[in-house]
This record gives sequence, structure tokens and C-alpha cells, in this order.
Amino acid sequence: MTRGDADSSRARVGPVAPVLELHGVRAGYGQIEVLHGVDLSVAAGEVLALFGPNGAGKTTTLGVCSGQIRPSAGSVRLMGTMVNGARPHALARAGVCLIPEGRGIFPNLTVRENLRMATYSGVAYARVEERAFEQFPRLAERRTQLAGTLSGGEQQMLAISRGLATDPALLLLDELSMGLAPMIVAELYERVGEMAAAGLSILIVEQFAQSVLGVADRAAVMLGGRVQQVGEPESIAAALGGAYLDGH
Amino acid sequence: MTGTMTGDGRRARLEARGVTVRFGGLAALSDASVDVRAGEVVGLIGPNGAGKTTLFDVICGLRAPDAGSVVLEGADITGRSVHRRARLGIARTFQKLEVFGNLSAVDNVRVAVEMRRRWDRSPMRPLAEAAAVLERVGIAAVAGEAVAGLPTGTARLVELARALATNPRVLLLDEPSSGLDDSETSEVAGLVRSLCDDGLAVLLVEHDMSFVMDICERIFVLDFGRIIAEGSPQDVRVDPAVQAAYLGTEAAPMNGHRQAP
Amino acid sequence: MSPNASDAVGRAERRDTAADVPRRRRTPVPVRQAVVLSGLAVGAVVVSAASWAGTPVTVGNVGGMVVVGLSLGAIYAVSASGLVVVYTTTGVFNFAQGAVGMYWAFVYWELRVNRGWPAPVALALVVLVLAPLGGVLLDRAVMRRLRNLPLVLQLMVTVGLMVAFMGIAATQWQGDRGRTVLPFFGHTGSFEVIGVTVTWHRLITILVAAAIALLLRLLLFRARLGVAMRAVVDSRSLAALNGANGEAVSATAWAIGSSLAAVAGILIAPESQLVVDVLTLVVIDAFAAAAVGRMRSLPWTFAGALLLGVGQQFIRRFLSFDDGFANMHEALPTILLFVVVILLPQAQLRARGVSAQLARRTLRLTDVKESTVGVAALFMLVLAWTGGTLPFTDAWSSVGINRGVTMMVTAIIMLSLVPLTGWAGQVSFAPLAFAGVGAVIFAKITGDTGSAYGLVLAAALTAPVGALMALPAVRLQGLYLALASMAFARGFELLFFTQTAVIDPNRGGRQFAPLSIGGWELTGTGRGYLLALTVVFGAMVTGLVALRRSRWGRRWVAMKDSEAAAATLGINVIETKVAVFVLSAAMAGFGGALFGLQVGTLNVLQFELLVGLPIVLLLVVGGVSLPAAALFGGVNTVLFIVIKDRWDYSWLSALEVLGPGIMAVVMVLNPAGAVAEIGRGFARFLPWRADARAAYAAEVAANREPEPGELGLSRPFTAADMVATERALSVANELARPGHDGAAAAMTVERPAP
Repeated sequence: MTRGDADSSRARVGPVAPVLELHGVRAGYGQIEVLHGVDLSVAAGEVLALFGPNGAGKTTTLGVCSGQIRPSAGSVRLMGTMVNGARPHALARAGVCLIPEGRGIFPNLTVRENLRMATYSGVAYARVEERAFEQFPRLAERRTQLAGTLSGGEQQMLAISRGLATDPALLLLDELSMGLAPMIVAELYERVGEMAAAGLSILIVEQFAQSVLGVADRAAVMLGGRVQQVGEPESIAAALGGAYLDGH
Repeated sequence: MTGTMTGDGRRARLEARGVTVRFGGLAALSDASVDVRAGEVVGLIGPNGAGKTTLFDVICGLRAPDAGSVVLEGADITGRSVHRRARLGIARTFQKLEVFGNLSAVDNVRVAVEMRRRWDRSPMRPLAEAAAVLERVGIAAVAGEAVAGLPTGTARLVELARALATNPRVLLLDEPSSGLDDSETSEVAGLVRSLCDDGLAVLLVEHDMSFVMDICERIFVLDFGRIIAEGSPQDVRVDPAVQAAYLGTEAAPMNGHRQAP
Repeated sequence: MSPNASDAVGRAERRDTAADVPRRRRTPVPVRQAVVLSGLAVGAVVVSAASWAGTPVTVGNVGGMVVVGLSLGAIYAVSASGLVVVYTTTGVFNFAQGAVGMYWAFVYWELRVNRGWPAPVALALVVLVLAPLGGVLLDRAVMRRLRNLPLVLQLMVTVGLMVAFMGIAATQWQGDRGRTVLPFFGHTGSFEVIGVTVTWHRLITILVAAAIALLLRLLLFRARLGVAMRAVVDSRSLAALNGANGEAVSATAWAIGSSLAAVAGILIAPESQLVVDVLTLVVIDAFAAAAVGRMRSLPWTFAGALLLGVGQQFIRRFLSFDDGFANMHEALPTILLFVVVILLPQAQLRARGVSAQLARRTLRLTDVKESTVGVAALFMLVLAWTGGTLPFTDAWSSVGINRGVTMMVTAIIMLSLVPLTGWAGQVSFAPLAFAGVGAVIFAKITGDTGSAYGLVLAAALTAPVGALMALPAVRLQGLYLALASMAFARGFELLFFTQTAVIDPNRGGRQFAPLSIGGWELTGTGRGYLLALTVVFGAMVTGLVALRRSRWGRRWVAMKDSEAAAATLGINVIETKVAVFVLSAAMAGFGGALFGLQVGTLNVLQFELLVGLPIVLLLVVGGVSLPAAALFGGVNTVLFIVIKDRWDYSWLSALEVLGPGIMAVVMVLNPAGAVAEIGRGFARFLPWRADARAAYAAEVAANREPEPGELGLSRPFTAADMVATERALSVANELARPGHDGAAAAMTVERPAP
């Protein structure tokens, strides 16, 4: 059986071994529990969008997935393996790539040095740089500039180029659109869509549903530390207005 | 969209006029104006990072604005220090708790009552008064406990009690309901309403929309450091600019939605 | 970058179209800095002109100044860059940097001179193997645990480390004895360039510093490890998300820092002699250089270090000062440190959140009644001691009484830090400087008449000096305040107590007549004095206990917990801070006057910075927020002396330094302080502490698990035990049932429909 066969058969059969699976995850900060039992799964090659108002626990969920927050109960499985309590750098090297909220870049490093940090994933620097610059030619022009001096959109491009250039097993995106003009957000998600089409598994956390509708296969709504609803992105997004502006 | 339920004839107790704050040349607030009248609860909402807490910092004096002014009952207090403004009657709570963790709950409030002696001449017994404020907020049971060991919700109520103990004229509440359970939230809502009946002016930032919609008479919506809408909860809820700001649609352009003061 | 700022970065995207450009309101900070700087420049010129020694300005002299200055500056730069690398990547400011360098310089000397190893081998072993290993060990054992501790404890632990290293070196090598270390190419190896004599050692020093600068540059900008070290500075968590192991990065930083300290120590030893104190204090020069770089920038740190080195040589060669200011060149780093601190922009009041403090056990406040009982018990004990009824043969001898007096005086000076550091959270390493000022004032005013008013005046007149030190404090927070207090103490040591008008070194004999209070005559070493001190100490402790329960005490603690919140309640933070500095200085000044009465003759050495550090440390080990910790500190101070005196082993020779240092380092394991722990254990024996007995009983019960063998035998078998046993047995049954996976069953949870 060739590799291509294996891939296509997996795609036909559907999500048998989810890339990411959370079961009854409880977690929080100190004594404050934020997640009160989160169940969530991302199948191989799937793009799941997670919506919810502020304070619903979206970022905390990503923190658990990336190893930054240790769950107090429940299980986190990565491709079937329990990874509760694994440390972030170990998970990162195992292929979990989180692009955190609010520019996941090092402002006092240059663009190249930022990309250099991505080589901890095991991908050679030349390849990281090549793919990053291919996807975002604007970054190539600014390779020796300090990342902190880039515009917001460019910073975000730099941040996701780590996810796009290092072949992660799972990409976690936290509020990519925050503080960016809609046009730039559209461009960023276009790239994300291309990666999704190539078979990358992605969990997207967003407050603004509209921007990810074209990319997501499924969507979920989080409220009060629990996943309330999972379904078609369009129907979920339609119900969101109520969740944000009425609190129900 | 100037519809308010309190009538337009009343003078504002607190006004922030055209406040601009920049971090390293980039605007966190640009030309933002809000006002609160006596006996009114005004909500300040907006997506993450819209500049709500920054506006609170400007009003209470923790951050100096690059442009604009803060006016309390007609007097410009922009140049006053934080403690002067507190003595003039501006009190606040913090989004990230700023309780005095090494003090007991009652001592947290007592510090505030004791400071009031500096400007409030009426005779008082600080301990009794602090206990009374805790009672009013509904946490008299934990009066003797160290605040560092309290759950967040309760600590948040300690902060609220501490702010009330300064006997403020304007109360700024930064996410008063976060960390509270449903019954505590409705108790706080009831408390805020009763405070307003006594003539207090309340400005609150909140993410729990049902809380905001229930309690506020007017709402300002902040996005990208600008006020994009102002009005009653009903008006704001259906405002296309607000929908756009929250859902990220391009239904409406962002500029040009600011209300004339 | 703060979260707000990063938001703003993005926010600007849409602002580009906006036409309005708001005007700036505030005066830009550089104007103020320019004013201060030009004022200082004028001051420096005036001082130089006034003290011009008349040395001819020849190429030889200027060239010599530059060469020697640069080589000294190069050493400071090496040490300071280690400090900066460690501070930026780990967030821990290593006060022990100089002491670490001193220790490795001694090790090098031991290998090179005592054991006769060839220099390259000894050098490679120390700099490339032992020192880095030591750094990694420190990181693993101590520094890693510091990261989440409050700043006060972080600072105290590294200062403890500094004192401990001094103690170790002094024990191992009797380090106060002056020794010379040969430069690498002998004493006289030198060559001449355009009339300037350059020794090989100095040339090597400069080259080594240049090479280190180059290597650091290459490491930090070319190697991935170095890039990761800089990335950790920006965001530790993001670096981990990239896959960089933060712990490994920290360990590397400590290894580099330790190695650079060793290089600096080995290079400076031939210039300054191999003496523990002198080498340890190189750290002050390193602080000043690092402060020029704002603790972050290596190029500015190097620039600051070179400026310092050349400046010191300029003073030595071209200026001459009166005896009192003879230490001017040594005081230069202190002055530079102070200047930098003054030039720093005002720290903004900032809401920080209390998450870091959450879940910490808080202490019950002692009340005045309890304190009175405790103080009375102490007095009875001291009375028994002075009466000779205690079963120690030498306790009531004149030596024993004198030690008792030392204990009480030390405890009283320690008390001055309780409100300042313990309650208001302001770190100060300068209590002995204030004590010295108090002693001098007392000596000048009524020391020779024995009038007790002098004690009051000593306190009252020292208070304004406290306000002087509060000046930087009210503007700055945390680390910079600690550095400023150290600079303050060192400055007083070098420039104030050296003045003949302050302490006349030529005046022999007692400067203090016996104290007369209401017809009682108290000599500084008598039993009556010890009893009086006990009463004074007791009164001060009880006063502090009452003060902590007063509105001032609450206000100071509130300010420590959150300055921003305190200000929004109407508390004037500046006024409140100055008040606590003034109180602390007055208490220390009072204690200093009592000290003067004890020792009879004042000299400069009594009030040195390094003498004061063990005092600060022992108080903090006891638990800095508790007045009772001062007694703990006083007792320990004397205990170390007694032990050392009693058992004449060579490994005890530096116990009075080694002891406090090691105790402070071990404090990492118990940040609450020893007195709190002891108090928790003893409280249940006090008749009125029913609450402590209940807490103890609950703790014992919680720690006791029913063991099968003891059920019903050693204690009654209760209904609760029955239930627990029942449950255990049923779980065991479940698990024993064949084919049943209990754990899997527990994990089966409803999943949302896809």
C-alpha cells in the first residue's frame, strides 16, 4: 500500500483516531476553575472552530491542549496518547503548534530570529524560511527587521508562519483576527484554508464567527467553561449573536 | 441615538471628553467620550482589547491621557493624582483582582473607611462601618478571613465593598460579575440598582451581556478605542455597527459611527 | 510588550485612515533627564577643578589612566554582563555575582599557587568546567524555586548566597589575610607604547573582555540557543510553545553567568589582592555598570563599566581629596548607581492582579495582650540570667552580659526593618547606616554627659535621613530600591563615616559616658543596661504589635499588596511610604545610639554594608513581618558567636557570616519564616489559644489514614471508619471481578454528537 492510499482511505473512513480529544477536562488558575468538564475532539484533517464570548474558557482550553495549563481532571489525548501534564516544549516538539492570542511573536528578535525559533520543531531552518516567505512574501522584505516594529498584520503573519512552515500535527489558533482589519484577517484565513485543504488538523478559537466560516468544517460554542453546542458552522454562527449580546 | 430614560435635562456627574491614549504611538483610545449622570447605571461594552479598562484607568487617574479630559461635576480633574480623585469621590474595582491579600476582609474595607476620615468630617466608627458595608454586600460571614484565601467571586465582592466604603459619587466597576455564580450575580445587580436609587453614578464594564442589558440604562460600545455606538440596551443590541464589531462582519464601515457628544 | 501595547499594535491598522493626531500633553522625559545630567556634569567639573591634584596632563599620565581604567572597566564589564545575562533570561537578580567570582578566584589561586598547577590547566578547569557546573547546580538547587517567590525573598536569598560564599571562602582560606596573586606573566612583564607602560596582565584583561563581548554577541545573535535565551526574555511561555526548553535555557544562563563571574574574579585578584570582602564588593561596580544598561542592554553595560573604570583612574591620578573623601574613587560606582536610579523614569502605578499571592497561608495577628505576656516572660528570663540563676557558667560573666547586650541591641536595630520591609514591602539593606548616623548624633550631642535626651534626639534626627533615602524609593519599586539602599549604605560607609568631623579616628577612649536616667547610672556593658534594653525592646515590640493593628499598619500592608488599589481609596502612596521610611530610620538611629553606648568608641568598620547584611538576613529568616523575629535574629547573632567561641574548630571560623548566609538560602524552602513555624507549633500550648488547638487537632486527624491493622485497636472504631472500610472493600470487589476494567468505566463520558 502506498502512502497516498493510506491517506485517501483514512479520509474516506472519517475521523477514527482523532488528532485531539478532550474528555471531561477541568482546569483553571490556582483555586479558580475555569473549565468545568470540556469534551471536544478534532479529527484528522478537520478544522474545528470554537466560538464563545469572553471568559467562556476558550483560551484556557487551548492552554490545556498546548500543555501550558495542567488539567485537574479529565484526559487530553493527542492521536490516542494521553498527554495530561506534558510540558509545553515537549508538546511543541511533538507537533502541537499554538499561535497564542495577541501576536505570538518575540518583539525584540528579528523576523529571521523568530523563524529560527520555529526550528525547535525539527524542521530545518532553510525550509522554514522558504515556506514562510513563499506564503507571506511581505515577510521576506522585512527579514532583518525587529518583529516588534512590524505592523499588526505582519506580526500575525509571522506568528502563523511558524504553524504553516513546520508541518505540525495540530495547529491551534487563538483569536487570530483580534485587532486586525477585516481585509488582513481574510488574507490570513485564506492561508489557513490552504493548509486545511492540504490536510492539516486545526482548532480555531474566534470571537468573530464570520471570518472563519469559509474555513471550518465544524463549529462549537463554549459558554461558562463548557462546550454547549457542536454543529454546522453556519447554524452555530447564526445562533451566536444571541450568545454574545444577550448572554444566553 | 441619544435616547436615554433619565431625560436630557440632568447634568452629567462624570464625563470623559475626547480621551486619547497611545501606547508607543499606537492608539488604545482615540477621542472616546462617555458620561454618567447621578442615579444612572451606564454600561461600557466592546470586544476584547477595545480599550475599556484603559478608559477606566484614565478616569481614576492611573494613566494620564495623551489628549482629552476627565470632568467630575463640571470641574476638570484631569491633572489630579489618583488619591485626590478618590477623595473627590471616584471609586473603582479592578478586572484582575487588586485586593489586599494579607489583610482580612473586614480590614480591606476598614482601610478605605479610615482613609475617608481625611476628607469626610462626619463622625464614624471605622470597624462598625466596615462590618456594615460587608453586610450590605452580603459577605459578612467571611469578615475575619484573609482575603488571599477567599474564592475569586468573594474576593471580588470584597473589592466592591472596599470601593463602596469610600462613599463614592462615581463608581467604576470592571467586570463585577466575573467569577460570581448566578445568585451572587443577581445580588450584585440588585445592589448596584439600589445604590443608584441613592443617587450614585455607576459606570461598568462587563462581558455578561444579560447582566449589562438588565441593569444599564444606557450603553456605550467601544471598539478599536472608539465609541461606535451609544444608547439604550435595545438600540445597541440591534445596531449594525455593534453587531459588526462583535461578529467581525464587514456589514458596516468602522469609521463615522461615533456619536456627537 | 504588555498585553495592552500589543493590542494597540493591531488597533493601529484601522487608525491609519484617521486624520486626527492628538497632541502630547506631558513634558517628554528626556528633558528632565537632560537637566539632571547637565547638572551632574557641571557638578563633576566643579568638583574636579576644586580638587585638582596638579598632576601634569601628559600623554603618559592620560594614557596610563586610560589603560588601567580600561582594564579595570573590562573586568567590571565581564562581571556585569554575567549579571545581565542571568537577570534577563531568568528574572533573578544575582546579588552573589561578585561573591561567586571571589570564590572561583580563590579556587584558581588554590590550584595555581598552592598546588602548583600550570596556569592554563587551572584556568580551563575553573572557568570552563567548575564554574559553569556550579552555576547549573545553583540553578537546580536554589534559583529555580525563586522564580515565583515575592521579590523581597528573591533578593534576600541571593544576598544570603553572597554572604554564604563569603563565609565559605573565609572558612576555607582565612580570606581576610592579604595575599597577592601573580598576574599571568609575572609581576613586571610589560611593554611600552608611546610612553605608556602597559603590563601584559592589563593587555590580556582588555583582550579577554573584548573576546567575551564578541563571544556573547555571537552566542546571542548567531546560535539558536542564544536566540532562545533572548526569546525567553520576551516571553517565556511563547518560547516553550516554540519548543524551547525554558529550564535548559535558564541553566545555560546560570552557567554562563557563573563562568563570567569566575573570569572577572580571577582577573581582578592580581589588581586588588585576594581578599574576600574586596572581591565580593566588585559586585557593586557590576551593579552600577548593569544599571547603566538598564539591566538589559549588554553594549550599554560594557560602556558603563568602561566609563566607571576610567573614571576611577581619573580620580586616583588627577584629583586629590581630603582624608574624609579619600575613598572617592571607590565610591564612584555607588554614586553612579544612585545617579542612574535618579534618572530612571517614574515607575507607574499598575494594577498587577493578585494571582501570584493567592492560596498563601496568612498569619493570625498577635494582639497586644499576647505580646505583653511574651515580653514579660522574656524579661523574667533575662532577670534570671543577670541574677546568675541560669545554669550556664559563663552566661552572667561580663563577657556573657556583653553578649546579651549585643543580642538586644541587634534585635532593636532589626526591629526597624519590620514595618519597612515586613509590612510596607520596601527592601532596605541600609539599617546599619541609619544606626551609625544615630550613634554619631548621640555621641556628638549628649554622649559625654550621659543624658537620656540624646537617645530621643538620635532617633529624631536620624528620621530625616530616612526621608532622604525614601526619595528614590517613592519613585521606584522592587529591585532598584534594593540597589539604591545598597548604594546608600556603601556610600555612607565610604564617604560619611570616614569624615573626621563624624567619627574622629584619632580620638581614643570612650565617647559615651554612662547613661543616667532618674538617678540610675547605666554603663554600656552592665547588667542594668541589659535589663533596661530588655524593657526597651519589649516596649518597642509591643508598640509595633499595636501599630500593626492600627490604621497605619493596615495602610502599609495594603500598600504592599496593591499600590494601585491603595491609591484609588484615597491613600497618598508617597506620603505613606515616606512615613514608614522615617519611622524605620528613627528606630534604627535609636538602636544605633544604644549600640554606641555599648561599644563606647565608634569606628568606621562598625557600620559597613557587609556587616549589616547578616543582620538583615537573620531577621528575614525569622520572618520579616513579625516583631518577634527580631528576637530570633538577635539570639542567632549571638549564638553563632558563642558557638564559635566555645568550640575552636577551624571550620567554625567564619560562622557568624556563614550561618546567616546559609540560613537565608535555605529559606527558599520555608518562605514564611522560622518564627511563624515555631509559633504555629507552640501556639496550642498557650491557654487562650483554643483555635490553635482545634487547628492542630484537625491537622492530626487529616493526616491519619485508617490502617487495617490499627482499626479498633489503638483507637475507637467509629461510624466514619466503617463507611470508609465499606467503600474500600466494594471498590476492591469491583476491580477483582474478571473482565471488568474499572478505570475504563470511570473514563466513559458522554461525548457531544459530532
